Amino acid sequence: MKKIIMLLCLVIAIYGCEKDDICVDETTPQLVIEFYDISNPAVLKNVVNLKVTGDGMTEALNTFNGVSKISLPLKTNEDVTKYHLLLNSNSSTASNEDILEFNYTRQNVFVSRACGYKTVFELNTSNGFNYTDATITDGLWIQDTNLQTNSIVTEDEVHLKIYF
Amino acid sequence: MKYISKFTFSIALVLLSFSGNAQETKTATKDSVAPKTERYGLRVGVDLFKLTRSFYEKDYRGIELVGDYRLTRKHYLAVELGNENKTVDDDQVNFTTKGSYLKVGFDYNSYQNWLDMENIISVGLRYGVSSFSQRLNSYEIYNPNQYFGENPVVIAGDEYNGLSAQWIEVVAGMKAEVFNNVFVGFSFRLNRLVNQKLPNNFDNLYIPGFNRTYNGDFGVGFNYTVSYFIPIYKATVKAKAKAEKSKSKSKKK
Repeated sequence: MKKIIMLLCLVIAIYGCEKDDICVDETTPQLVIEFYDISNPAVLKNVVNLKVTGDGMTEALNTFNGVSKISLPLKTNEDVTKYHLLLNSNSSTASNEDILEFNYTRQNVFVSRACGYKTVFELNTSNGFNYTDATITDGLWIQDTNLQTNSIVTEDEVHLKIYF
Repeated sequence: MKYISKFTFSIALVLLSFSGNAQETKTATKDSVAPKTERYGLRVGVDLFKLTRSFYEKDYRGIELVGDYRLTRKHYLAVELGNENKTVDDDQVNFTTKGSYLKVGFDYNSYQNWLDMENIISVGLRYGVSSFSQRLNSYEIYNPNQYFGENPVVIAGDEYNGLSAQWIEVVAGMKAEVFNNVFVGFSFRLNRLVNQKLPNNFDNLYIPGFNRTYNGDFGVGFNYTVSYFIPIYKATVKAKAKAEKSKSKSKKK
C-alpha cells in the first residue's frame, strides 16, 4: 500500500513539471567573423563603430565597437544573405562601406520538442562568400578574407576571418 | 415443592438441551462449511478514460481493451490492447501519431479480501510494444536571433511509417466489484523505453500506449476501466493453512 502511495506521488510530481519545455539546446547558428590586423595577420584587431545592416533592412543589426568578433544571423528562408558593413559609421569623412554576400544551401535539422528545428547552412563552394564595395564607391576597407569553413553548424567556431 | 423442583429441573433440562443443541449445530455448521473457494476466470473490459477523451478532445481518438486472467490466488496475467490517433500541437512542432500497441504482464494483488469479496489493489509490470507512424504536419525553426523577422511556420507533411517502440511499465492500480461481476478500476503507470525506431530527422515525441515521452525515454500513463468478470472455475483456498503453518514456524523460531 505504501508503495502504491509513493508511486502515486511520483506520478503527480512528474505531471506537475510538464511545462519544462524551455529550449536550452544550441539551435540555428549565426555566422561568426573575426577581425585581424592586415599588417600583422596573427593579431586580432578591434573594429571601430562597425555598423552592420542587413541588405534591405532599415534598422541596423548592431553597431560593433571595440570588439574583434561579431556574429551575423543568416536568413533561414532564403539562400542568400547580404550585409552592409559600415566602418567608422559615426564619422562622415572616414566612414567606408563594404558589402558581404553569403550564398548557401539550407537544411532544417530536428533538435528537440522544445526547440523544434534549427537551420544549418552550407556555403556554396563556388560563390559561398564574396565581398564588394558599396554602390557609393569608397574603396574597400576589407583588405583580405579567409573563409575557415563552408559548414555553418555551430557558433563555437570562427567561420570567416577578415583582415583590415 | 416436588412438582416445582421437577418442573424447574425439566425446564432447565430442556433449556440445557437447547443450548447443547444449539452448540452442537454451531459446531456442526462450522465443520460442514465447505472449504473457502475463490473464483478464477477472465476479466475483460475497456478503458473509459481513452474513450471519453475521444469525445471531448478534438485531436485525440483512442481505445484500449483490457483483460486479465487469474493465474494464482494473488497473480493475474494482464493484457492491454489499444489503438491511438493523436495530434500534438506544441509551440515548435505539430505532428500526428497513429498506431496500435500491446502490453503484456502481470498484476500482484496485495489486498486481503474479506469473505468472498474480490477487490484488487495491485502492483504489476508490463512489457509494451507499439507499432506506429508519425506525420510531421508543421514546424518552426528556432532562431535565437530574429533580426530578419520571425520565422514562418514550415508546413511539412512528412510521413514516417514503420516506427516501433518497446518499453517496460510499472503499474499500480485497483479494481472494485461494483455489482455482480462488474468491476471498476484505475491504474497509474510509469514507463521507460527499452528501444525505439526513430524517424529520420524527427523524434518519437508521442508513442501510442506509452504516451508523451519525457527526456526521450520516460513516460507516464493512466487508465480508468470498466470490466466484466467471466468466472471459469472455482478453487479452494489452501493458502490459509499454509499461512498458519508458516506462522507457527516463525513462532517456533
